[in-house]
Amino acid sequence: MEGLTLYHYLFLGLILFVIGISGSILCKNVIKVLISIEFMLCGININFIAFASYCGSPAYDGLIFGLFYTGIGAVELAVALYIFYLMYKKKLSDNIEHYGDL
Amino acid sequence: MYNQIIFYISAIFTVLFALLAIKFDNIFYSLLSAIVVFISIAAIFFTAGSEYNAIIQFAVYGFAIPVILGITIMFTTLKGKTENSSRNKWISYILFLLGGIFLIALIYLVLISFVTVPDGFNINSNSPVSGNSIPIFADGIFKKYVWGFELISLVITIAAIGLTIFKKEVKD
Repeated sequence: MEGLTLYHYLFLGLILFVIGISGSILCKNVIKVLISIEFMLCGININFIAFASYCGSPAYDGLIFGLFYTGIGAVELAVALYIFYLMYKKKLSDNIEHYGDL
Repeated sequence: MYNQIIFYISAIFTVLFALLAIKFDNIFYSLLSAIVVFISIAAIFFTAGSEYNAIIQFAVYGFAIPVILGITIMFTTLKGKTENSSRNKWISYILFLLGGIFLIALIYLVLISFVTVPDGFNINSNSPVSGNSIPIFADGIFKKYVWGFELISLVITIAAIGLTIFKKEVKD
């Protein structure tokens, strides 16, 4: 078994990003779409951490940006869920096709 | 050796449960699968040598975000009607086809980069950050990127206060 390289992490991040894109396009439930967007953010975060760990010497800035990205992702999800909650009270549906008139 | 075992197990869990999270019809099962994905990603961060990112990922994505999602599901989906709308299946097939072509192209690029890139990047070795990553974070957060860190804190505070005010206005 060979050691872990940068490409292992990049490939995993790529797969997670593609799963997130396909989920955000194909899913009809708003919460599933938001979860898929979080998958995409996590895939990007893996890239940040992997590049910082393998190529970052001596600064390791990617670790800090990964931390910032986690915070921004959490805020984005909270705001999006609150907007969904407000829209849901009007529409009474979680189908994203009914949410064209934001 | 342990890093490799943890990485491969976590990677399999991540991909498998990410697909399941999209596939499940029941939104609560999707949420549980997403929790497994987020915690597996925390383990992957740990194998990359960044313990602090792993802890933050575990705390924020493993606990805080699922709680918010669970509360939202309780307030919305269970009360209303969950619909299975009839999105055109041809669009789904075309999207899957395009996604497959896109994925194959990206895999090709990654495989090509195995051959061409290593001389271009300043790749240290096959081992990630060794030892304690906390001093690196302390240096970054409190010295180099202190303004960025404060700005992120400000954004989080604005979001919390804004949501509270917005909720009051909606009630009125």
